[in-house]
Amino acid sequence: MVAIAVYPWIATALHAESAADAGKQTGYVTAGFETNTNWYQTDPKTSATVPDGRFGSNNYLKLDYYRSGFSAGMQMETYAPALVGYSADLKGAALTNFYLNWKDEDFSLTAGTFYDQFGSGLLFRSWEDRAIGLNNALTGARVTYSYKDILNVKALWGMPRFGMKYSSTQVKGADLSFVLSNLIGVKNTYLALEASVLDRYETLDADRQADGCSPNTTGWSARINAESHGFFLKAEYVDAGTKHYYNTSYAGEGQMFHRKRGNAQLVETGYNGHGLGVNLSLRRLEWMDSKVVTDASSNVNMLNYVPALCTQYTYMLTTLHPYGARTGEISSRFTNSGEIGGQIDVFYNVKRGSWLGGKRGMKVHANFSTYHTIAEEGTFKSGNLLFRDISVDVEKQWTKKFKSTLLWSYQEYTPSYGASRTTWLSNIFVADLLYKFNSSLAARMELQYLVTFEDQKDWMAALLEVSFAPHWSVYAADMYNHGMTKVHYYNGGFSYSKSRTKVALGYGRYKAGYICSGGVCRQIPAYTGANLSLTMLF
Amino acid sequence: MRTFLLSLAAMFMAVSAMAQVPSVKVENSKGEAFDTAQLLDEGTPMIISFWSTTCKPCIRELEAIYESLPDWLEEVDFRVVAVSTDDSRQLAKAKSFAEGRGWGSDFTLLFDKNQDFMRAMNVTVVPHVFVVDAKGKVVFSHTAYVQGGEVELFEAVKKSVRK
Repeated sequence: MVAIAVYPWIATALHAESAADAGKQTGYVTAGFETNTNWYQTDPKTSATVPDGRFGSNNYLKLDYYRSGFSAGMQMETYAPALVGYSADLKGAALTNFYLNWKDEDFSLTAGTFYDQFGSGLLFRSWEDRAIGLNNALTGARVTYSYKDILNVKALWGMPRFGMKYSSTQVKGADLSFVLSNLIGVKNTYLALEASVLDRYETLDADRQADGCSPNTTGWSARINAESHGFFLKAEYVDAGTKHYYNTSYAGEGQMFHRKRGNAQLVETGYNGHGLGVNLSLRRLEWMDSKVVTDASSNVNMLNYVPALCTQYTYMLTTLHPYGARTGEISSRFTNSGEIGGQIDVFYNVKRGSWLGGKRGMKVHANFSTYHTIAEEGTFKSGNLLFRDISVDVEKQWTKKFKSTLLWSYQEYTPSYGASRTTWLSNIFVADLLYKFNSSLAARMELQYLVTFEDQKDWMAALLEVSFAPHWSVYAADMYNHGMTKVHYYNGGFSYSKSRTKVALGYGRYKAGYICSGGVCRQIPAYTGANLSLTMLF
Repeated sequence: MRTFLLSLAAMFMAVSAMAQVPSVKVENSKGEAFDTAQLLDEGTPMIISFWSTTCKPCIRELEAIYESLPDWLEEVDFRVVAVSTDDSRQLAKAKSFAEGRGWGSDFTLLFDKNQDFMRAMNVTVVPHVFVVDAKGKVVFSHTAYVQGGEVELFEAVKKSVRK
């Protein structure tokens, strides 16, 4: 019966004279499906985590319908159970997202689930990142209004998602962007003044009530965004409101919770043009964590976005010790109100025909980033080193068939989150070599080496990937700690992609550590097993 | 059950054939708000490529397109829209990165810092490319990239013009 019911719809759609016109009249549906499924096995070499049932599967189905200015959609998630390392709050199946949206040229109105962000996200960001199991979408309502290209205003109210449900925490906020350069008609220069305000409400537990804490945390931010002839400047000041931190030395007298005023300063400036890209970021954070649910231990429990501002690497050995921004902590061992630091990136395209560029040009990138604890709360004085990275990578197309990328990264980090001055150093070298045999066959090899006198001493790694365009790719890789543990972390697999579908099957041994996406990290235990991933877009 | 699933798949294929470019606010290189519906104003076919600075296959695909573009444009008049899905952490870096590769002169660069456009197009992983014809209809879509895959992409662009 169902089949009979849908066939006329299919026939109508297939015989539409102009699909685009038909789309405007009848609307259209898009859908996306993703599964990541692991089978786990025991591995005494790494004490790999093996969950009950030896199985984990994260599944997402998203459907959207568009018709003219109207859209509606839903997302369903199933964890059967969740993959190892994901939040324990992700379990079972649920219709997690659902929304209705209407918009015209000036107004938009959303009811249901939505994502949004104020400025850089330091004050507020709701987003989804499946790689780390994060989804703090709001369910509520949002209205936006634009006046020409001069004014953009939005107001929202909602309850953020936590795990499979929406929390009882309430968020109310407004954001305004005023484009001054368009108002006065200045050409070739963009100048916008922006501001946001956000209130977070959460019912307090008995201890906080007794201590006189407020259930509301109200913060605001002010921003300048300017660009002229390739030069740009972004500056943001955030007052994130008063936060409460448990007083670890509380002994029945005084306040059980410290009151701390969250604040952040961010400046991004630089120049983009003539094959040169330079950007400098400076940032100071103090008590800037913002949670969906206070006291919940999940590491994806966040209502704002405070990423590590440094290079996010993808090569195996460069990601062994990723940096996560420090938003302030009070513990029995030490107190650190946040971090202060910055980074500078330089990208340069050495022109073809020049002495250095040769016939095919050359691309150079360098980065320096350094972050410290705040030595004295409320000041700009830097304390112990948290993380430092210096890196240079050079990409060169030597012939039509051969390309190489060479990378050097010097990483220095604290194993104590800044509690002591002790730091560990590592130098990492990577050669990424690509050779195209013909238009459809290519091979890529990565050779990596990490030198350090600390932690687990030296590592080496290699990867070989062979691709058969346009559909197939196979790979094998090994990461070996020959400095101390003598453990091989091998993996291999293949992927097949055709049109809107990609399927990949892999098997391997994976090290305990952190998976980072967008500067936010999730701790994962060691595991060994097979992985199936499938993505489809309809 | 099998009939139902086949029908469902056929239905999705049929209705998705009409998929278009939704109206979503993103940023251009200057940081100005840009409505993606404006992409259709020029009335020429385009490749829309979703990429990020941490996605090596995305960069290889855009580099391959960049290298081939002068030859392709001799055959077909079309545009390339490169949509960075980097969030605010990497946003400034993405702009500098694109400039350092010379993409700014040949591609329309857009920045989708909270992945609103990506979500509206139902893209779950990058790289993902769409070919949109002059009427705004999505006529080809492909996820992932293997070296040499740009040939199939250009065939889809040519086909969109011939239709």
